[in-house]
Amino acid sequence: MTLPSRADTISANKGFIRIGLRTKLVILSSFLFTIPWFGYQYVWEMEKYLRYGQEQTIVGTARALATTLHDRPNLFDNQASFLASVEKGKDLYGFQIRQPIQLDGRYNDWPDFEGKAHFYQDSNIIWQEPNQAVSLRFNAAVGKYDKYLYLFFNVVDDKLVFRGNNARSIYLNDHLTLSLTAPDGEHQQYIVSNKNQGWIESFQLDNQTGRPQPINYIQGVWQSNNTGYNVELRLPLDYVGNKIGFSFADVDTPSTKATSLVGSANTSDPEQLGTILVPSPEIERIVKGMSYTQSSIWVIDKHQRVLASAGDINSASGVWRSTTSTDASEGIWPTWWHWLQTHVLHPLYYQVLTKPTQDFYDQLYDESHLAGEHIEQALSGEVHSQWRLSTDKQAVILSAAYPIYIDEQVQGAVIVEETTNGIKTLRNKALEQLFTSILAILLVGTISFFFFASRISNRIRQLRNHAEVAIDEHGRVKEDLPALKGNDEIGDLSRSFSTAVSRLTQYNQYLENLSSRLSHELRTPIAVVRTSIENLSMYPIPENAKAYIERAESGVHRLNHIITSMTEATRVEQLLQRTEKQTFNAYEVIASCISGFKQIHPETRFNFQAPNQKANVLGSPEHLAQMLEKIVTNAVEFSSDSQVGIMLITVKKNLILTVKNNGELLPDTMENRLFNSMVSLREESNSLIKNNQQTPATSQPSSNSQPHLGLGLFIARLICEYHQGQISAQNCFDPNGVQINIEIPLTE
Amino acid sequence: MSKRIAIVEDDDAIRENYADVLRHQGYQVQSFANRQSAEAAFTVRLPNLVILDIGLHDEYDAGFELCQWLRAKSSTLPIIFLTARDNDVDTVSGLRIGADDYLTKDISLPHLTARIAALFRRQDAQNKPVEQENLIERGPLVIDSQKMTIKWHNHYVELTVTEFWMVFALAKSPGHVKNRQQLMQDSQIFVDDSTITSHIKRIRKKFSKIEADFNCIETVYGMGYRWNDAEQNASSLNNEA
Repeated sequence: MTLPSRADTISANKGFIRIGLRTKLVILSSFLFTIPWFGYQYVWEMEKYLRYGQEQTIVGTARALATTLHDRPNLFDNQASFLASVEKGKDLYGFQIRQPIQLDGRYNDWPDFEGKAHFYQDSNIIWQEPNQAVSLRFNAAVGKYDKYLYLFFNVVDDKLVFRGNNARSIYLNDHLTLSLTAPDGEHQQYIVSNKNQGWIESFQLDNQTGRPQPINYIQGVWQSNNTGYNVELRLPLDYVGNKIGFSFADVDTPSTKATSLVGSANTSDPEQLGTILVPSPEIERIVKGMSYTQSSIWVIDKHQRVLASAGDINSASGVWRSTTSTDASEGIWPTWWHWLQTHVLHPLYYQVLTKPTQDFYDQLYDESHLAGEHIEQALSGEVHSQWRLSTDKQAVILSAAYPIYIDEQVQGAVIVEETTNGIKTLRNKALEQLFTSILAILLVGTISFFFFASRISNRIRQLRNHAEVAIDEHGRVKEDLPALKGNDEIGDLSRSFSTAVSRLTQYNQYLENLSSRLSHELRTPIAVVRTSIENLSMYPIPENAKAYIERAESGVHRLNHIITSMTEATRVEQLLQRTEKQTFNAYEVIASCISGFKQIHPETRFNFQAPNQKANVLGSPEHLAQMLEKIVTNAVEFSSDSQVGIMLITVKKNLILTVKNNGELLPDTMENRLFNSMVSLREESNSLIKNNQQTPATSQPSSNSQPHLGLGLFIARLICEYHQGQISAQNCFDPNGVQINIEIPLTE
Repeated sequence: MSKRIAIVEDDDAIRENYADVLRHQGYQVQSFANRQSAEAAFTVRLPNLVILDIGLHDEYDAGFELCQWLRAKSSTLPIIFLTARDNDVDTVSGLRIGADDYLTKDISLPHLTARIAALFRRQDAQNKPVEQENLIERGPLVIDSQKMTIKWHNHYVELTVTEFWMVFALAKSPGHVKNRQQLMQDSQIFVDDSTITSHIKRIRKKFSKIEADFNCIETVYGMGYRWNDAEQNASSLNNEA
């Protein structure tokens, strides 16, 4: 039951948007939503420190590894690390090949052959026949797998000349010369000179005699193709020192000498050979010991070539990984929570968060030549760490480089790399938990806030509704205000209201009884005065004093009338309380009344309209007649054209009686107050009473001197309310007048 | 021998005023200011008529108690309530416990003396033979204006003086509408409209005790009441909703 409240109409009139208590509390509680932001910031801050920690750890790892490598020149001895400079194409680097190579003359099993091969061309011509164009070029790649050094040559030659079937010389055809120093430092030359394509035929040149001896430890395949031929071979690392050179001799006419020699170095001169760097097994052993640190580790020489490496950057997520990978909480939580987490919460969180991926691709480093600011810094003696994105920008990689000193010279560097995935995972875990708890807090908080606000606003609304119902528009206390329970301010307020209303009730009762009590109390003194006057008049009185007696009598009479009128309303109320209701036809009563009015007010014309002659009402016909009499008398008095219109209609289940007269309009403020006790327009509109001029009275229209207490319409209202009806007055226009409407429910 | 009237009234001025008037009329008047003194005197000797106020000093219902006490002693003693209390409850209870009339202090002295005279006359007339010229007959209704008695179908209707005058006024000219004002004048009381209504109701009730479907007193809404002779009742039944 919500009545359109006064507050509503007030706010509507002001044109403000009405913000309820509940809305306000919800708005206020929305500040709770800053908590996740703070939490988020906090976790970010934490991540910063973790990163810093990781940076320190990674530098520490690099330092530890570098420490094991400091001043151990023998690890670097057989490498080319001590060269002042390396020459591309001459100084070679044996890539670490991760899968076995099939010796088939095809480089499809060489990883990134195109990128790692060096192209030997005009600049690599060692000698040539004068006036002969060199028609041979080749690509060469060197790799290391297991205990073998693999070489692949992709040769472009316009004429491929194999060794003749019976030829003894191995030089009169296209051949490959491989020149290297053995680990003991001895210079060795090997010739690959095939009679046809297929398995290679290799020879070692005797150092003293220069005679070729067939050998079998160099294995491989010579495969010709459209543009020339491929040579793929391998030789055990045991034969390989730290220097190497190779060259192709191009023979264009069978059984003739070569016209040109193209290669990495002059293979016949051991001094001119280039260096070969194969990742050092010793260093690798040491590094491997460090590979359990969840880091990707590189050891490079000062030419930024990789001496050893361990670990895979994709799985190198740092020391945090081990602590975060195990989900310890999984066992504790029920399955529905797990489901909720994976199906609802995580998809939500990862709108904001990024999940660290291990499937990123990072190929920043060329193994033969690691580059980067941190490496350069390390090689210049500075410890340096840096953050960088992976090549595909999917992961953040932390790199630290630490210099390796040998004889106080920087001879290399240790590079340790880790992704921030561990931290990210940790951060994500932290944020997930943060979000979950905040979500729970927010949910619980907002709901409880909402319920709290609802309860408060409901209670206040309840109080308001009670307060509105308690006192009607006439200011009368209709019902007591129930005191709400609740030991808080609203409860206090309600109790205060209740007390105030009950006091008001008492005061109202006092006021309502005042007139009857007053009349009762006044009656005796008036009787004293009157009986005294009457007694006095029984004695001989001087003629000139008689007038005073008469005046006193008339005064007492008027006083008496006032008192009677004052009690009348109370009397009606009391009578109504005890009158039994009966069903009667209101139309007949009203029609009968009107015929009476026609006799009482012969000068007035009554226009009675009643389309429906059956209007059964539950109540008291006498009182209904009394009510009508009060209203009609009123209308007659105020009528300016001696016409009173009475209309009786039945609408739905209500009888509507309208009494209308043309004349003065009601003042705006009077429409509601008109039916209150002791309200009279006559006194306000003119002072006829004081002047003792013609003022028709409610109960005694013929008497001139009757005072008006404004009780007529009040009695009408009492009777109307007894019939469970409503009475109201409204102004009519064109012609101006006043209309009294009575609405009384019908019975069957 | 002059009649003895007792006035029980706590207000000295009124009591003495009433007493003076009544003494002027030739009655012997005893006046009492409270219940105790009145009871003491009445124990010794009952007056011929008692005028009672209801509230005496701090005894709110002393008049009622006195009335009951007196009624117990004598069923014929005329008792008049003369009080400032004019509400319906008091009127009804006053009359119910045996008062012959219930007057408010609005009443003028001549009216009061007339009432008293009427009551005495009724009392005196009880023993005298019925004189025909004082009787008004309206079908089953017989009014003896001398004895101030009313018979309905040969049964006495126990009416107070006020009620008697009302019925008398109505029945004197059957078919004529008497408005409340006229009824007040005829019954010599000065009350408001609703008191008239309740008097009429009480009268009807008293007649209904004798004849259940009594409907000779017709309400003419907005005007007043009229007496319909029993023969005309059939035609006026419809109006008596």
